[in-house]
Amino acid sequence: MNAATAPPKTGPARTALLLGAGTAALAGAVLLSLAVGSRPTSPLQVWSVLTGEADSYVATVVRSRYPRTVLGLLVGAALALAGTLMQGVTRNPLADPGLLGVNAGAAAAVVTATALLGPTSTVAAVWWALPGALLAGLAAYSMGSGGGGMVRLVLAGAVVSAVLTAYVEAVSLSLPEVFDDYRHWVVGSLAGRGFDVVAAILPFLAVGVLAALLVMGGLNALALGEEAAASLGANTLLVRSVGLVAATFLAAGATAGAGPIMFVGLAVPHVVRALVGVDFRLQVPFALLAGPTLLLLADVVGRSLVRPMELMVGVVTAFVGAPVLLYAVRRTRGAA
Amino acid sequence: MRTAPARSAPPLLRLGSAVALPLRPRPLLWALLLLAGLLAAAASTLVLGRLGIPLADLPTALTGGAEPTQDFVLRRLRGPRLAVAAGTGAALGVAGALFQSVTRNPLGSPDVIGLGAGAGAGAAVVALVLPGVVPVPLGALLGASAAVLVVAGVTGTGLRHPGRLIVAGIGVAAMASAFTQFVVSVVARDRASVLHAYVNGSLGARSWDHALTIWLVVALAVPFLVALAGPIALSEMGDELAESLGSRAGRTRTAAVVLSVVLSAAAVSVAGPIAFVSLTAPQIARRLSRVPGPNLALSALVGALLLVLADLAVQQSPLGDGLPVGIFTMALGGVYLGFLLVREWRRGVL
Repeated sequence: MNAATAPPKTGPARTALLLGAGTAALAGAVLLSLAVGSRPTSPLQVWSVLTGEADSYVATVVRSRYPRTVLGLLVGAALALAGTLMQGVTRNPLADPGLLGVNAGAAAAVVTATALLGPTSTVAAVWWALPGALLAGLAAYSMGSGGGGMVRLVLAGAVVSAVLTAYVEAVSLSLPEVFDDYRHWVVGSLAGRGFDVVAAILPFLAVGVLAALLVMGGLNALALGEEAAASLGANTLLVRSVGLVAATFLAAGATAGAGPIMFVGLAVPHVVRALVGVDFRLQVPFALLAGPTLLLLADVVGRSLVRPMELMVGVVTAFVGAPVLLYAVRRTRGAA
Repeated sequence: MRTAPARSAPPLLRLGSAVALPLRPRPLLWALLLLAGLLAAAASTLVLGRLGIPLADLPTALTGGAEPTQDFVLRRLRGPRLAVAAGTGAALGVAGALFQSVTRNPLGSPDVIGLGAGAGAGAAVVALVLPGVVPVPLGALLGASAAVLVVAGVTGTGLRHPGRLIVAGIGVAAMASAFTQFVVSVVARDRASVLHAYVNGSLGARSWDHALTIWLVVALAVPFLVALAGPIALSEMGDELAESLGSRAGRTRTAAVVLSVVLSAAAVSVAGPIAFVSLTAPQIARRLSRVPGPNLALSALVGALLLVLADLAVQQSPLGDGLPVGIFTMALGGVYLGFLLVREWRRGVL
């Protein structure tokens, strides 16, 4: 990563242009997400619903897509921001929000709740997934942080993930009804969630976003390296801790809301860096634009590709994100 | 994570004193001990539990003079399962040792280049699209091969660059497991459950055909392993040094990765993707032998012992032996990784 505390030489005009393009893309994705589905509606009809002059049938169809669109906006933004923070804090371009065992923690909590209390509603699952994800993330963090480098943190995340995944698999394979819930949850989907799910995860995402905005400048210093950052007066331990906790909150909220969704957190920061450079004060807002755009488009593709069935958004993002990763591999020079 | 202690500079020697040079008696002694442990574990597998053959009857049963019940247990139930466990464990151990040695990555195993996930996706395709036409193990084998081919293809440099292999493996594995999860979530529950168990790596209901398959592959691999052991040990010293000593590093690495993939693919086809054995076995072998190089024979023994013990634990566990052994090895591997982590941390290495 290039060392740049000063804003990169992109110029405010270019930034403004990109900002406009990003906003337009996001608006387009929202419109598509409202328009596409088993009963297709045209963007014009969607517009008429939004302005309140459509007939009630079309209005009902389009309004039924409100919750999943809003959820997609929030989850996409949260995952992208969590990925940006993780990659900034660990200075590892392959870091992913799932790295700290957040997904496994959420899964373990959901499975435990289903096993003990019987099949749970999606909202109840959210209330279980949140503490599970947070606890797993914090466990990995407390085990792997302090003194040591990032390798220890990554390994701690792997340990937490492995143990929790084994637990999840054992429980879900022993109890058929738990397995039934789990197999639908683990794919990652925006379907079948209402505004109550949105309301449940919103506070966690808000905390995460606020914390991210606070540490943006610190992350810029951290990108220079531990010692350089310290000599610039940055409190590296504080920046990293706040960054990781924020990432954990964001990833936990997203996973609780939609199940584990891969690659949005990994891929979006790369795209954003290619567009706006390494300054985190630009990366954060652009991640907030690009994440929801990607997730909503993936959801639209999943809805329209294999009708009448539906590809869950988690499947689509894996098949969109992985080729990006493979392309990036080809471009790395030498032994990588 | 630590590499072989004896390769480190003297101040970094963590296990031995100054005499951590290749002491041949030590690996030999450990090999004998592991063999004894393997025999003991195998005997326990046959003896313990409700259907176990009493220890006193075991010699007669093995020579074919047992009563029908015991004979059935030995020939149909536990015998083949034991043989598959030992063979699969050995194959996984060797595969991991080869892979870790040539990639110089102590966390490497053929799983990280998408082999296990590819096998799962292959099994899922066969179960969903052509139920009953193509056997699931064959689907797994095809899936594993396809995943590795894709990984080798997209790196642009074949199997030569370990770093690229691993990143490409993450991508291919993600696609494969997303697909498997999709299939598991849309098919009917009982079929999903069976598929899910297979995808986790299971040794339940194995026949002598499975045992024959895995042992045949292991036996066929032995001459190649003998031929490769020297060049691999050289290549651990670095490409330039190895080449200056007359070894062809690129070719050695490709051959080792191919052999490693073949062995793991055979293991996957008989037992499904079993987690962590090929990751941990070579590391344990290195710690025991304290000798540089891939420690192929010891890794095979450790792998076999690990899997036989894990399967014994699963069979005798109160949760019933319907639990796939792969889940048990995953939990065990996670704990082992955690233990390593804490130990390195205390030493202040990491």
